[in-house]
Amino acid sequence: MMQVPGEFPIIKEDNVTHSFCGLACVGWMYQKIKDSFFLILGTHTCAHFLQNALGMMIFAKPRFGIALIEEGDLAKQEPTLEEIISEIKADHNPSVIFLLSSCTPEVMKVDFKGLAHHLSTPDVPVLFVPASGLVYNFTQAEDSVLHALVPFCPEAPAGSKNVVFLGSVNDSTADDLRAEAEALGIPVGGFLPESRFDRMPAIGPDTVLAPIQPYLSRVAVKLERERGARTLHSLFPFGPDGTRVFWEDLAKEFGISVDLRDREKAAWEKISKQTELLRAKKVFLTADTMMELPLARFLKSAGADVVECSSAYINKKFLGRELEALAGVRVVEQPNFHRQLEDVERIQPDLIVTSLMTANPFAGHGFVVKWSMEFMLMPIHSWSGVISLANLFVSPLQRRSKLPAFDKEVWLEGVMPSAE
Amino acid sequence: MRLAFWLYEGTALHGISRITNSMKGVHTVYHAPQGDDYITATYSMLERTPDFPGLSISVVRGRDLAQGVSRLPGTLQQVAHHYSPDLTVIAPSCSTALLQEDLHQLAAHSGVPEEKLLVYALNPFRVSENEAADGLLVELVKRFAVAQEKTSRPSVNLLGFTSLGFHLRANLTSLRRMLQTLGVSVNVVAPWGAGIEDLRKLPAAWLNIAPYREIGATAASYLGETFGMPAIFEAPIGVEPTLAWLASVIEKINAVGAERGVPPVSMPKLNAFSLDGMSAPSGVPWFARTADMESFSNKRAFVFGDATHTVSIVKFLRDELGMQIIGAGTYMHRHADAVRKELEGYLPGELMVTDKFQDVSKVIEDEMPDLVCGTQMERHSCRKLDVPCMVICPPTHIENHLLGYYPFFGFDGADVIADRVYLSCKLGLEKHLIDFFGDAGLEYEDEASASEGAPHASNGHDNSGAPGSPVPSSPAHSAMDADGMSWTDEAENMLKKVPFFVRKKVRKNTENFARDQGESTVTADVFRQAKESLGG
Repeated sequence: MMQVPGEFPIIKEDNVTHSFCGLACVGWMYQKIKDSFFLILGTHTCAHFLQNALGMMIFAKPRFGIALIEEGDLAKQEPTLEEIISEIKADHNPSVIFLLSSCTPEVMKVDFKGLAHHLSTPDVPVLFVPASGLVYNFTQAEDSVLHALVPFCPEAPAGSKNVVFLGSVNDSTADDLRAEAEALGIPVGGFLPESRFDRMPAIGPDTVLAPIQPYLSRVAVKLERERGARTLHSLFPFGPDGTRVFWEDLAKEFGISVDLRDREKAAWEKISKQTELLRAKKVFLTADTMMELPLARFLKSAGADVVECSSAYINKKFLGRELEALAGVRVVEQPNFHRQLEDVERIQPDLIVTSLMTANPFAGHGFVVKWSMEFMLMPIHSWSGVISLANLFVSPLQRRSKLPAFDKEVWLEGVMPSAE
Repeated sequence: MRLAFWLYEGTALHGISRITNSMKGVHTVYHAPQGDDYITATYSMLERTPDFPGLSISVVRGRDLAQGVSRLPGTLQQVAHHYSPDLTVIAPSCSTALLQEDLHQLAAHSGVPEEKLLVYALNPFRVSENEAADGLLVELVKRFAVAQEKTSRPSVNLLGFTSLGFHLRANLTSLRRMLQTLGVSVNVVAPWGAGIEDLRKLPAAWLNIAPYREIGATAASYLGETFGMPAIFEAPIGVEPTLAWLASVIEKINAVGAERGVPPVSMPKLNAFSLDGMSAPSGVPWFARTADMESFSNKRAFVFGDATHTVSIVKFLRDELGMQIIGAGTYMHRHADAVRKELEGYLPGELMVTDKFQDVSKVIEDEMPDLVCGTQMERHSCRKLDVPCMVICPPTHIENHLLGYYPFFGFDGADVIADRVYLSCKLGLEKHLIDFFGDAGLEYEDEASASEGAPHASNGHDNSGAPGSPVPSSPAHSAMDADGMSWTDEAENMLKKVPFFVRKKVRKNTENFARDQGESTVTADVFRQAKESLGG
């Protein structure tokens, strides 16, 4: 364990944690970009992961697949993907193919950039997306996908001042954000990503990038560097507190001064029943999706006692405002799960926000849990997401209080003989 | 290299963890990148484990590789410190297997005593889930089983029962009930719930029962060769196979008993095997003879699965329910020869052997069987084709991990399978009637419109002789609702972006909200306000 120097102290551990790798992003990215295909160069393990852990079954023709590296392929100099690419084009006719790396070809030192370049045609570009679990956790590979899309965002001329929201959200959330910005008088350039490959937003020196997901620091930096765009450094638009600050700060970028305190107050009032329940509740976030910091900040504002906020990776600049708002909360980067387990037993939190791997086991230990992944699949952004967000935390607490008493000696017998 | 969307068998690591997650005091450490941790979720989610599966990843990061650092010794120390397992199994993943590290040496650096470690480094590019699981069980049995006195009373070991096994718990219960009725006790179940001490005492049993060809059979063979233990490898699936299985248990137990001067076990009256102890042990023999089951003689079934279940279900459908088998296949290449031999005379053509679900789906589409018995994947293929399907073996889905007592083994199992066949096919029949008379029930249409967005293939049955089903008129929403609420196109478009399964509810809530606000039209603005005020 070490202290990371900086204005707001972060404890850094050894990253023995339970979470997914970057390939998880395929689960939502292929649905977001509707004319895309996601091709993973990987092994049996990658395929098994996608079909099991993400609960993804094949309903029709999925727009993702694995170019399977089998034993015979290991000896080859470079993977030959031409046939697979033709198959994909014939079956899916995508506008773009994202070629995702994974651990095995990374160890084999496959030249992905060269490969993607070689497979690209003017009609259907093949874009390399670094997603390997050797480097990227869970949501981080969305950052890589957006990175790959940058060359396909037209150059916006100087003087074209508008906002481009960074991060994939569903269309209905995107509509809400756009409408809210317009209502405040903020011109909207679009979203990175848009739902179609040929509609990526123009970005230039007068673009203001407004990140709406907290795990996209690399693409923001790239756009600052390559296009001279400015990144909004604010809170993320989650909860009444974050949403107010986000919109006020964004408006300020456009020389618009708005005071949304009444709106914030009204939003808090709408969830007063929920915050009543959250008040002084001890909440522990074990690290999974990298949404932990803004979630913890909302909980803190709602009156909860955040006993630990862990995250796999914390970019201190990108999350600077969130860290500032979390002052006084124990923030851990790359936590050690064994240590967390001991702390949880000692602290006895009222609610644990945790991964799919650990949620049921914590519940078996008597704790109330919330799957962290649900926060990625629910519309929790901005004003329209406030109630959903609050309910996500409150519903497991309410549910537990409705269920009858539970004697685990009785009701867990034989469920998991290996643990008895 | 090929394009894969979905695979029948899991990875070697998955096979290894199925054994170790079954066992007490055994931990697995994967020398692997973070992503391999998804395996933990298969147990915590599908089996709803109330405790943490004994699986830890010794995380390999790109940076560690560049610096030549291995965290394995440190991880082993942490695991020893926090969980004190009796045994830690160390396994590489596909990516780390390529690094050609000496895992024995790395493990030795941890300072954890050698007798508490087992490096199981097989080639993940060559070995899949079942072979890895079967192989690890043999390794463990070799390492721990010791020669010893037999139990004084007749006893058996039940081998191959593993975490995430198909209807594992119910199958075990069914076998235990039958053995109890015979007066035969269970010495050890392995690996499910077994600790190292249990493995040591395996040779104390009189007989090994290893009903799964995929996992456990090799361990039973090893115990036979090394300790002279007899074994039964047949799966008691169906009434006749169960009777044969019972006869075999009795014969083999009595052979051992005769040497030891223990009085023989005899077959009790069959009603002793029923749940209430006073009825026929299974309803299948009578059920198959009833008038309404006569139509099953014309029902054409296709079976695809692992080796054990493919063999047993084909035989059950044909021999006990009198159905027609139009084909069968397995994804277990390793056992294809054995399956072929078992099914000699049962199949009209060649056994299909493939691990590509698209090939299986194609056969189903071409044949349009009246019943498919398959894996979760076939269920999906069949759903698209509107062909009745029941799941008979892994790979499974959360809905195959139910709470009730649904064994496939024994007399109880025969009833469960027959019920499922009946329910699966019957629904198909109703659908045929509806299609035939062209009077598609409204409920079906609601369902069809509920799945809008997903391609809904029309059924491929030849309806040419019958009046075609009328095209369902979708519940049209005129701009004006019955109670006077109208929607602008823009608002209607926004509603379309709401997931279909909550769309109706959102429409209703939004209209209520608009009414409360004194609005008569739902505009985009009203819709947004409603969303904000009602949440999501």
